[in-house]
Amino acid sequence: MKNQTIKSLLLSAVILFTSSALQAAELKNVEGDASTPALKLESLKGEMLDLKDLEGKVVLVQFWATYCTPCRVEMPSMNNLIKKLEESKTPFKIIAVNMGETKEEVQKFVDEVKPEFTILMDSKGENVQAWNVFAAPSNFVIDTKGKVRYTLYGGVEWDSEEIIKAIQDLAAEKES
Amino acid sequence: MNQYFHHLHKLLVVGLLLLSFNMYASDEFKTITTADDTEIDIRIFSAKGNKLLIGFACDQGSSVAEEKTSQSLAKDGIEVWMPDMLSAYMLPKVRSSLADIPTDGLIKIIQEAKKTKKQIYLVASGPDTGLILRAVVDWEKAHAREDELLGGAILMFPRLNKGKPEPGKPPEYHDAVGKTKLPLMVLEGERTPNRWGIGHLTSSLKKGGSTVYAKLIPDVRGYFFKRNDPNVPEDLVTSQLSGLVKASLFFLGKAHK
Repeated sequence: MKNQTIKSLLLSAVILFTSSALQAAELKNVEGDASTPALKLESLKGEMLDLKDLEGKVVLVQFWATYCTPCRVEMPSMNNLIKKLEESKTPFKIIAVNMGETKEEVQKFVDEVKPEFTILMDSKGENVQAWNVFAAPSNFVIDTKGKVRYTLYGGVEWDSEEIIKAIQDLAAEKES
Repeated sequence: MNQYFHHLHKLLVVGLLLLSFNMYASDEFKTITTADDTEIDIRIFSAKGNKLLIGFACDQGSSVAEEKTSQSLAKDGIEVWMPDMLSAYMLPKVRSSLADIPTDGLIKIIQEAKKTKKQIYLVASGPDTGLILRAVVDWEKAHAREDELLGGAILMFPRLNKGKPEPGKPPEYHDAVGKTKLPLMVLEGERTPNRWGIGHLTSSLKKGGSTVYAKLIPDVRGYFFKRNDPNVPEDLVTSQLSGLVKASLFFLGKAHK
């Protein structure tokens, strides 16, 4: 019983520490007109998804892995982000690309963490390479015309006011 | 006063070693002094073979796996020197401590090791691999003769990036990357995002003329032999670390032929 309490306290301390580290990361503007790499992969549920088909929406493409602690910690805030943007009727989608792990590993993680967004399986890591991803989580925020507008490395509280506003502003560009 | 503290520290270290490492006692314990009077204590696991491996002990205060590995290597004829760089430079026992220390201490150790006439190899992990590369660059500038060259280095899960990674951009490395012709073996865990950078890092390291080998170790995370929460594959690979080092030295030896 005592061991269990100590374990819980330690776990809480780790989560608190990691959560505070999450808040330090910020969206970084992408300058220039570099083209967005293609992204067409099968999801964990077996459906094909092509990034091109999502034009008209703001898309958060995240590269992640089950062994990445910040990825695990920030996913609930990504679920919250979806809910908040649905409330404001902002056209938005999250695509989380797993970096080269097996379906079994990813399914186990999904059952525990319960992400409410699409998980794509990059089993050979070809997209990881094409997108120049060398760390996790690596994030790309893509505007309604399919252009990468922001990048972000590391964990972050995705449902923060600043990020919600940045995404809403991108979505509003479509309307103006 | 400094001398007094150094002797006190040395006595404490020796005492702790005697208490803690009866099973893995090293054969010798020697001190090397640099030009600026920095004193570096080295544990030596002596062996009769013609290879000598210089590695870093006391990383994060726990180097049990490295000590067991050194014992095992010494039994197989590979001499191991484990300098206590952190204490010598009065640094905290954290992963990045060695990233910025001067190279003269390690160069002095290499000079001393060269006197044994054995082929010298280096090993380090994480950000400490940067110190190895910097020291080798400096060594090669001053020792260009064939017989003065070193045998090679093992870079275990090297962390050589300048600054934070930026999604969509290739990494920028510390200046010493790609400046040496030392044969290199890069070992990386399969369960770390850094595995995706191995190709890029290998190409960058080769720019100085190095032969670079890279191996991905299945099912383990970075720093696998220093973890407090090892999984079954990590425990297994840690127990076989000496085999991994021997295989790496074999490949590095081939680079000279």
